[in-house]
Amino acid sequence: MEKALIVKDLAKSYGNVTAVDSLKLEVQKGEIFGLLGHNGAGKTTSIECILGVKKPDRGSVEVLGMNPVTQRKQLFEKVGVQFQQTSYQDKITVAEICEVTYSLYKNPADWKELLKAFGLVDFQKQLVSELSGGERQKLSVLLALIPKPELVFLDELTTGLDSKARRDIWKYLESLKAKGLTIFLTSHYMDEVEILCDRICILKKGLAVALDSVPALIQQSPYDNLEEAYLWYSGEEENANESL
Amino acid sequence: MRAFSTLLKTESKLMLRGMDTPIFGVAFPVGFAVILGMIVGNKPAFEGADFSFLQQSFGALTSIGICATGLMSVPLTVADYRHKKVLKRFRVTPVSPALLLLVQFVISFMISVISMLLVYSVCALFFGYRMIGSPWAFMLAYMLVLLAIYAIGMMLASISPNIKTANLLCSLVYFPMLLLSGATIPYEVMPKIMQKAMDVLPLTQGIKLLKGISLGIPTENVLLPIILMAGFTIVCTALSLRFFRWE
Repeated sequence: MEKALIVKDLAKSYGNVTAVDSLKLEVQKGEIFGLLGHNGAGKTTSIECILGVKKPDRGSVEVLGMNPVTQRKQLFEKVGVQFQQTSYQDKITVAEICEVTYSLYKNPADWKELLKAFGLVDFQKQLVSELSGGERQKLSVLLALIPKPELVFLDELTTGLDSKARRDIWKYLESLKAKGLTIFLTSHYMDEVEILCDRICILKKGLAVALDSVPALIQQSPYDNLEEAYLWYSGEEENANESL
Repeated sequence: MRAFSTLLKTESKLMLRGMDTPIFGVAFPVGFAVILGMIVGNKPAFEGADFSFLQQSFGALTSIGICATGLMSVPLTVADYRHKKVLKRFRVTPVSPALLLLVQFVISFMISVISMLLVYSVCALFFGYRMIGSPWAFMLAYMLVLLAIYAIGMMLASISPNIKTANLLCSLVYFPMLLLSGATIPYEVMPKIMQKAMDVLPLTQGIKLLKGISLGIPTENVLLPIILMAGFTIVCTALSLRFFRWE
């Protein structure tokens, strides 16, 4: 199978603190891949190094067969990105931010259709700053899909969303996956990971401590559900027991 | 090209919605021209002068728009977009975040020129203002002053680690320049010793240049301000590029 993403020996530290250490992973085309780990485990730094926004100390990254730094313009025609906690220009409306994002790509998706699919069509004239947290989160996922990407990075895609909105987004992403979209996501919600992800990688202090499919990882752990297996892998299970 | 025009349209709307740039950059100098015209309009600049007070002040009035856009609007927007990670988001698109900066410059430049043309119209229509010097030479001088002030503004945006520092630095540069360079309070009414202190401010030199050219004073006499403006443009642009960060 073709690879959408190849990361080799990626490392990045800030001063004495190691954020990511020797990360090695591959994502197949058409796959939904989850990068898990608790806050500060190095998820966001990994994504930023993969996207070329941060310069890794060492290692190499190939996204859709391209180098994200030297082939940036070409690559980001095909890659959508949703950063964690996105903020926008002051006093910009939903329609305006969609229109601007649309204008950056050669062959973008119809953003009005996306607004409909995300239930945001009535908010077009509203200021982004006046949206609720959940609506803004949906908008940031929507904007990442405007390029009609082959690969999309979603950093904490459903943080702050209610159950209904989360399900709507899952359903929509699954439908895009069926059309061949590759998704690289991070999430703190194990139900979401279990439903969406084909394979996951668990980071602990910048090191990958597990990388496999969800059922395989549960099986290799002493537990029978992902939540507890995840805590066991990421080394939080003891702390969780202690605090009980 | 489509990205540029869409950004230009949207960012212009945002700038107008923001209100502060239209107020400080356009309404303020135009209002100030009206007041100055009514108080001292056609009186000679000083006893025996062969030009009027308004003719002497015209250059200074046109510099207010340059300052409001170059020392407030541009650097604060850049610092804000960096802080909000708007620039970072542009780095993961096919378009360079530099395009967004270019759009900010173009909008600020347009607002500044509109401000200058409105000031001219008010002075010419209501107070009989005529430029003694060449309008083309004046346009060139105006461009040079604009470049110098924008370079200073960009340098402030580049060296500020965060939006608070950018705000502080811009205010520290903007308000003294506005009050003590002759842009608002005429240089000529200041005591000699004060004038010496004012001469240090880049905008004072810029206004001397605009004033000199608009009054038709021979270019050799404004050589020093020309050199200083070019110097500020080069040095501050170099510093901005050296210290600029996308996030």
